[in-house]
Amino acid sequence: MSESVAEDRRRDLITVIALYALCIGVALAASAVLVAVTGGPWRSVVSALIDGSLRKPGRWGQTLSEAAPLLIVALGAIIAGRSGLVNIGQEGQVLVGAACMALVATRGSGPLTLLVALLVGALAGAVWSAIAAVLKFGRKVPEVITTLLLVFVASQVTGYLLTRQSLLLDRDPNRPNRTQTSGQLDPETRLPVIRVFGNEFPISVVIGVLLAIGCAFVLNRMVWGFKLRMVGQNPRTAQRAGVSVVVAGSLALAVGGGLAGLTGGLMLAGGVANYRYTTGFSSNVGWEGLLVALVARNRPLVAIPIAVIFGALRTGSGFLASTGVGREIVDIVRALLVLALLAPSAFMFLRERRRASTAATSRT
Amino acid sequence: MNEATVDDPGGDTARVAPLVELQQVTKRYGAVVACRDVDLTLRAGEVHGVLGENGAGKSTLMKMLIGLVQPDEGRILVEGSPRSIQDPQVASALGVGMVHQHFSLVEPLTVWENVLLGETVRLDQARARRLVAEIGEHYGLQVDPDARIVDLSAGLRQRVELIKCLRRNPRIVILDEPTSVLTPAESEQLFHTLREVVAREGRAVALVSHKLAEILHASDVVTIMRQGRVVEHRPTGDATAASLARAMVGREVSLRGEAAALGALDDLDTPVAEGAQGVDQRPVMLRLSEVTLRRHGVAVLDGLSLEVRAGEVLGIAGVEGNGQRELGDLLSSLLPLDAGTVEVDGGRVRCGRAGALARAGVAVIPEDRHDSGCVLDMSVAENLVLDRSHLVARSGVIDRAALRRRALELMAEFEILAAGPDAPLRSLSGGNQQRVVLARELSHRPKVLVAAQPTRGLDVGAIEYMSARIRRAADDGIAVVLISTELEEILHLSDRIVVMSRGSVIGGMTRAEATAERLGLLLGGVAA
Repeated sequence: MSESVAEDRRRDLITVIALYALCIGVALAASAVLVAVTGGPWRSVVSALIDGSLRKPGRWGQTLSEAAPLLIVALGAIIAGRSGLVNIGQEGQVLVGAACMALVATRGSGPLTLLVALLVGALAGAVWSAIAAVLKFGRKVPEVITTLLLVFVASQVTGYLLTRQSLLLDRDPNRPNRTQTSGQLDPETRLPVIRVFGNEFPISVVIGVLLAIGCAFVLNRMVWGFKLRMVGQNPRTAQRAGVSVVVAGSLALAVGGGLAGLTGGLMLAGGVANYRYTTGFSSNVGWEGLLVALVARNRPLVAIPIAVIFGALRTGSGFLASTGVGREIVDIVRALLVLALLAPSAFMFLRERRRASTAATSRT
Repeated sequence: MNEATVDDPGGDTARVAPLVELQQVTKRYGAVVACRDVDLTLRAGEVHGVLGENGAGKSTLMKMLIGLVQPDEGRILVEGSPRSIQDPQVASALGVGMVHQHFSLVEPLTVWENVLLGETVRLDQARARRLVAEIGEHYGLQVDPDARIVDLSAGLRQRVELIKCLRRNPRIVILDEPTSVLTPAESEQLFHTLREVVAREGRAVALVSHKLAEILHASDVVTIMRQGRVVEHRPTGDATAASLARAMVGREVSLRGEAAALGALDDLDTPVAEGAQGVDQRPVMLRLSEVTLRRHGVAVLDGLSLEVRAGEVLGIAGVEGNGQRELGDLLSSLLPLDAGTVEVDGGRVRCGRAGALARAGVAVIPEDRHDSGCVLDMSVAENLVLDRSHLVARSGVIDRAALRRRALELMAEFEILAAGPDAPLRSLSGGNQQRVVLARELSHRPKVLVAAQPTRGLDVGAIEYMSARIRRAADDGIAVVLISTELEEILHLSDRIVVMSRGSVIGGMTRAEATAERLGLLLGGVAA
């Protein structure tokens, strides 16, 4: 029996690799066609993507800087996912976290301020997604809907903060065009930067990897993770066994939001938008982090390489734009590649579900 | 009763030609034989009662008629010519319509929309409304075509199901446990309609039921099934409630025979004899007083009171759907109480709180283990722990070696066959999954063990094992509550028996007093 299980695993692995190769191949071919049709240099699409994400000087450091926020957001989504909840509001939680972090960080200076500000950001993200938990367990409103809609609320609320000098708006009278941006973080209040071989990235990269390891440990080895999985996979069994679905689920949502909020703070202190909070600050990190979690299929350690690949797509496509391919086309190319990364996971998910349901019906 | 059918149903084939004949039909599911060599003849203008306990093979038989299941042996004749009914469309074309036990209505849709479901032609609202009204008028099944199903009572939903079936103008109508959700008045109305359908229009009706009164009241001929076989076939006029009950559950001789066949007669007789005297002095471990639980405004448990003492097995018999499932859920901390109290070993328990009853010492083998007994995607070892993670954890971190060790011990003790402690529970057979649940629950040294339909769907060997374990749990001083729809199981294992109906206990007796006939009458809703 165990041999056939191992055999199945190996075959699954081969299928997955073949699927990824096929999907990425198709996406690249389609991209090349698209670039060629719109008059761009189609031959160099692939090499431009690699140049921009890895080969050119300083680019892989950039890629890692982009990957870290994606990873931390993904970890939050994974924690919620393990408890059977679907939090898709990371984009808003990132915004709220970054804005609240900025509220604190622009009013002081020094490492202590930075630490406090990051904690405030994380807390803000946690509170923001806890709203969804309250609605879910108090009023039975599906969290998929509330977390999503809270993104738009978050974007409006943080936008409002940027209209008042007493809140977030830049107070420097000499800076032109200071609408819609906060003041800049003091150099003392920024994240330390690591420099290796001419590449540099903020320390949030290290924080992200440590969080992933910690997350894997908590989810796989600790009682709390065990209870969370129980709630996620069979809430009624969990309830009978004494694990409250309400408590575990709320906690999972809040921790997930907290990680997204922390991401916002780390991005700001790590130099995104030149250390200023602005509208559209999150630049889709919330959405893409969610995709990272999807592709990693809720495994924290797998999320590390996936986040790097998504980070590479961000930097690579940015570079592609500089080779003369239109911005819109670049966005389509990126979207095609993201789809190519998602398709195999979706396929595997569907196949597993079908297997589970055939196993269930064959027994009755 | 009309005169054409009161006489011997076997002899008069020439006069009333059968619409449908099942001949020597057999259906197996793996090792289980659901139907064995069954003969059934449905004639025009006749209500044919099919009586039997849960699991007697009635539903399987009907599923073969409607094309949901294919017979392994035997043949089906429709109007004299052999037919193969591969799917419900074929059945429908042959004029077979069925009203299912569980409603298959789409709740947010309206009545006419539901009636039209499955139609491939263009939707014609006006025609659909007219259709519903006409059928309603014709059979006295009035229902507002524009009402949404969610707003309708069970009785009205049943009407919609009937209209759905009748609008296809079937010659053969199958009703599967039609009154299980109806009030007596609604049932009365339903049978009135049935009579109309049969008498006025010469349709054939198969009425599948386990309610004696219903069969006596509404059928012309009755076929009684037990364990997949037809045990009796006779005109209903010749039958009495007592004779039907006896035939349905089997004679006492055969009941004792079953116990012997299961190899448990020895440990059966002695403890019962002792128990009858000794148990009365033992402490009450589980006491339910006037427990009431409402769902959608209906009291599914209605003033239910029970006492179970240490070392006894209390069998709760009853026809499915009379509150047993809710009782099981209540004792699994899955439902809060609306009124009444639950006490375990003298202490009052706050029901509905996560794990409240488990902490108080109530172990449960749930009716549907996949629903609340285990986590299929977790490993065997993890499933053997679930609520007792502190046993294998230190300061919040699970000790994998301890987890494995505990799993291996329990797997050996309870003879669980699995690839290993890390195999996903999903990969185990049903019997072994059930053993995992049993092992976990008993390893907690519970005060009370609730076993709900513990042997449903298991093979003979697994049934024997479960039965012996339950009996041994009682011998070890655990108060055992056995909720089962299988009378044989109840009679085989219990010291005391109560019968549940409509959410409360309607009668009780000790094992010594219990006869199949008395139980059968109580089950059929006739107070004994």
